[in-house]
Amino acid sequence: MKTVKILIALVLAVCAVTVIYFAQSAKDSLPGLLETMDAQQLAAQDDKMLKARDRVTDALEEGDREKTLRNLTRYLDGFSDKLTFSDGVNRELMLFKNYPVLTAGSIFLLAIALALVVYALDKGKKFKKLALPLVLIAALYCGIYIVENITGVNSMLMTVLKKGAIYALIAVSMNLLNGFTGLFSLGQAGFMLIGAYAYAILSIPVENRAQVYQYYAGGLIQFSLPPLLSIVIAGLAAAFFAFLIGLPVLRLKSDYLAIATLGFAEIIRAVFQYEGLGPITNGSNLLRRFTVFSTALYPFAIAGVCIALITLLIHSTYGRAFKAIRDDEVAAEAMGINLFAHKQLAFVISSFFAGVGGALLAMYQTTVQAAAFTSAMTYEILLIVVIGGMGSISGSVIASFLFVAASEWWLRFLDNETMIGSFQVPLLRSGFRMVAFSAVIMAVVLFYRKGIMGDKEFSLARMIGWTRHRKEAHDER
Amino acid sequence: MSVETMLELKHVTMQFGGVVAVDDLSMHIKKDEIVALIGPNGAGKTTAFNCITGVYAPTNGQVFYQDKLIVSNHPQGRMKQLYVGSHKQFPSEVVENTPDQITKLGVARTFQNIRLFKTQTAFENVLIATHLHRKSNLFSATLRLNYKEEQQHRELAEQLLDAVGLLKEKDELAVSLPYGKQRRLEIARALATKPQLLLLDEPAAGMNPQETEALAKFIVGIRKRFGLTIFLIEHHMDLVMDISDRIYVIDFGKQIATGLPEQIQDNPAVIAAYLGVDEE
Ligand SMILES: Nc1ncnc2c1ncn2[C@@H]1O[C@H](COP(=O)(O)OP(=O)(O)OP(=O)(O)O)[C@@H](O)[C@H]1O
Ligand SMILES: [Mg+2]
Repeated sequence: MKTVKILIALVLAVCAVTVIYFAQSAKDSLPGLLETMDAQQLAAQDDKMLKARDRVTDALEEGDREKTLRNLTRYLDGFSDKLTFSDGVNRELMLFKNYPVLTAGSIFLLAIALALVVYALDKGKKFKKLALPLVLIAALYCGIYIVENITGVNSMLMTVLKKGAIYALIAVSMNLLNGFTGLFSLGQAGFMLIGAYAYAILSIPVENRAQVYQYYAGGLIQFSLPPLLSIVIAGLAAAFFAFLIGLPVLRLKSDYLAIATLGFAEIIRAVFQYEGLGPITNGSNLLRRFTVFSTALYPFAIAGVCIALITLLIHSTYGRAFKAIRDDEVAAEAMGINLFAHKQLAFVISSFFAGVGGALLAMYQTTVQAAAFTSAMTYEILLIVVIGGMGSISGSVIASFLFVAASEWWLRFLDNETMIGSFQVPLLRSGFRMVAFSAVIMAVVLFYRKGIMGDKEFSLARMIGWTRHRKEAHDER
Repeated sequence: MSVETMLELKHVTMQFGGVVAVDDLSMHIKKDEIVALIGPNGAGKTTAFNCITGVYAPTNGQVFYQDKLIVSNHPQGRMKQLYVGSHKQFPSEVVENTPDQITKLGVARTFQNIRLFKTQTAFENVLIATHLHRKSNLFSATLRLNYKEEQQHRELAEQLLDAVGLLKEKDELAVSLPYGKQRRLEIARALATKPQLLLLDEPAAGMNPQETEALAKFIVGIRKRFGLTIFLIEHHMDLVMDISDRIYVIDFGKQIATGLPEQIQDNPAVIAAYLGVDEE
């Protein structure tokens, strides 16, 4: 049984690697292909054909894949009689058109192969638990990649997925504090603002600075950091502010934290728009032209890693201490848990990830302005946490995507004046969406007090009625 | 071990506004003893525990644990005028320790009105109390580099659940357990901090005579097994007389008697103040 599994895994891996090899080689094959198809150099004599062909190569150089494919189809359809299609050319064309999907599929196959090997070789039961999530995560990421290539980067679905992933990270970071540690903070927008600004300021390429900081003589900072480093610093900046706020406030017993953080968020929003700081923050003007991401995989990867880290933290001995504080401070302290140190830790970590979320949001929006980070943003996140369930990470994630999809997409039609025949549908006009949205949220809060998930986690095992856990527990006895 | 004195209170006074809950309480507990603190309702027993464990800073007086000064205070601020305690000499030092620091020194406690972690299972409740022994830091714990330590802590938690007879209820929510089992779970949780001195606040409250008798055996058992010194508050006289080496009796915050169980049983002051009021 073991050898069979490993053999299957090997075959899968070989297939996957082969496909990846061909797919990757097809990536840069288009210019050569165009030459081969036009063996007689007909394009040189036909002006229209040359233009169509140039449109393809231009789009390719721009790096806009959608446009390239569109222009390529037009070129191939328009001049099929003048082009030669050998078997080799057809195959290469197919590979070029589909290489992202093929790559994604192959990565998925590789993940399955890896999972099989883990299953076969695992002596303890430790890694088996890892294998299934591994495959699911690979499937998720491949799925996103494929969907992105089918619908295009800027489709509504991708917009929702990108923003949803970012909101998921921010909601989980808030849940760490409000849901798991029992500390009520209302400063999320403030920490996001710090993260977004830190990221934008640090990652604007030097050559763009003169233009961005046009009112401040090119600004004070004349260097630029790589995006990943900027994101980490964005998180650290937010964490640093949290540390300063926590020092006095978290020593107090009651809920001063909510007031302090709310006030902090308002103050920081004003400070970042202050003219005197213009050489750094660009005053009340937009920050723009910083490095942004071009694929949804980027926010998914970063949010995914961060949420995974938070989940690991919550299930570690520190996470247990946080939950103990939430359940009963007096008992937690009597069990040797230093209340202040642990509250401070939870607050700083939560703010770090809010800062990272802010940086991602900046990348998603491509521009940043302090005025947009209002307390309404904090309430949005709080709503997501409540709807998803205080103390449920998967709840926060699910609720984020639902919330973003509903507010950006599904309820959009409510804002459009609509005619059925000559009859104008009542109520539908700009702004009605927010009214309907509020009603939906009120219903959820009223009837699903504990949110979608309560404080439980989404579990595949439970969903498909898997009895493995129960069996294992039974075996041990 | 060379420590002879486990706990010593010197003139401890706790005054809330005008109410003197504990008044000039001095006591002395030797290693390996089981000492009981008794007294009628509202006598100030729980308050005395809270002064020892750092929940309250006493208004006046000192607490020594293994000859180390862990709590010391004199009337400060508003209390300078308000102070009406019987003991009028004030120690000059101010020593304050938070409850978690005192627990780390080796003093664990249970609560009169059970304080379990409500959303956690029995096992998790005990496991949380191993947190103070961690050698891991935030990073090693998050990245699971501390799996050996984690394994040890989990084993300790299971052993303790077994010791209090709750291994079968391991994965049940703490609050769903019957009353008596919740009390035993609290003891297991306190033991997970690896104490040398265990403070039990009415461990037999709400138990029937059979359960109380079993609890008496259990307390004597854990003293031996874990090398504990035990200081308990209790209203069940049978239990107190059965297992205590010595007894302190307080009323209105003041000590009214102390001695061996036989001596306390026949002490007229005690009978008047306590047994007379609270008929067993
Ligand atoms: N935090 C507080 N603030 C004000 N008064 C308090 C406080 N804690 C206790 N007291 C008062 O101190 C006195 C002693 O209370 P304590 O709880 O110590 O009594 P006890 O001996 O434990 O009684 P019981 O047997 O009912 O548990 C009571 O009169 C109580 O009202
Ligand atoms: Mg009491």
